[in-house]
Amino acid sequence: MLGIGVYTFYNYVFSEPTKVINIASEFIGQSDEFKYLFTEDLEGWSNKVVEIKGTITGIYDNGVLLDENIYCQFDQNTDLSSIVVNKEVVIKGKVVGFDELLMEIKLNQCIIIQ
Amino acid sequence: MKRTNLIIIILFTSIVCNAQKYYTRSGVTEFNASEKAFEPVVAINNSTTAIFDINTGEVVGQVFIASFEFKNALMQEHFNENYMESSSYPKAIFKGKIDNFSKDRLKTVSEFDLVGILTVRGKEKKISTKVLVKEINKKLITTSNFMVKPEDFYIKIPSIVQEKIANQIQISIKYELVEKK
Repeated sequence: MLGIGVYTFYNYVFSEPTKVINIASEFIGQSDEFKYLFTEDLEGWSNKVVEIKGTITGIYDNGVLLDENIYCQFDQNTDLSSIVVNKEVVIKGKVVGFDELLMEIKLNQCIIIQ
Repeated sequence: MKRTNLIIIILFTSIVCNAQKYYTRSGVTEFNASEKAFEPVVAINNSTTAIFDINTGEVVGQVFIASFEFKNALMQEHFNENYMESSSYPKAIFKGKIDNFSKDRLKTVSEFDLVGILTVRGKEKKISTKVLVKEINKKLITTSNFMVKPEDFYIKIPSIVQEKIANQIQISIKYELVEKK
């Protein structure tokens, strides 16, 4: 019993933040639907995990742009070889917030679902 | 008339072309508030947006507080909820100027003066530091570090943990800026 208690406590105090792949998405759908919901509540989506289907309109060193103004940042090790402009993809990631400098919705810790 | 028009067009185009900006969406901003004998208090944010106008020297940077990643989830939670209140103050913004910058000068010089204002939790602090800029493969690799104190931004450290958190916090940046087209 004590062992279980100590184990649980240890896990709680010393655990790393949960990875996006293990967090349930609070939105699953098309990018234009997400953009609409986002503009209705600019700050409410921060840190929520979402799954967005959209078209790649730009490819950069660390991420891609979906439909002109959703930037999805990938982790360093992500395999981006299948990514091409105009391809439709589903990306799961964590909402960082609205980037006022570049006027885009910013997501990070992104993974390609399909 | 046609000649005047042509001159006007050329002038206009050259003025428009003059705004040359370099930027990143994934700049690395790190802070270290560790006190030697205790557990490291370090976090990294890989999602900094920064824009640098190389003609005016103006820089602007924006970082979302909740995107600072800690190794320890509990520490990250305390950082956001208790110290930074990131739901009320989601971003930190820097607006400033790199003095006397030009790409030509990069052939001989890599250190420049950077001054500006850092706004965290709605409080402004003047920052004056050096920045290193190197051009590698058409990217401007920009690094700098400077110190701030929790009290600069009215960050309250409870007395219980005061000795575990340094009273000077080191902020380091490494931004790989590419030309904005």
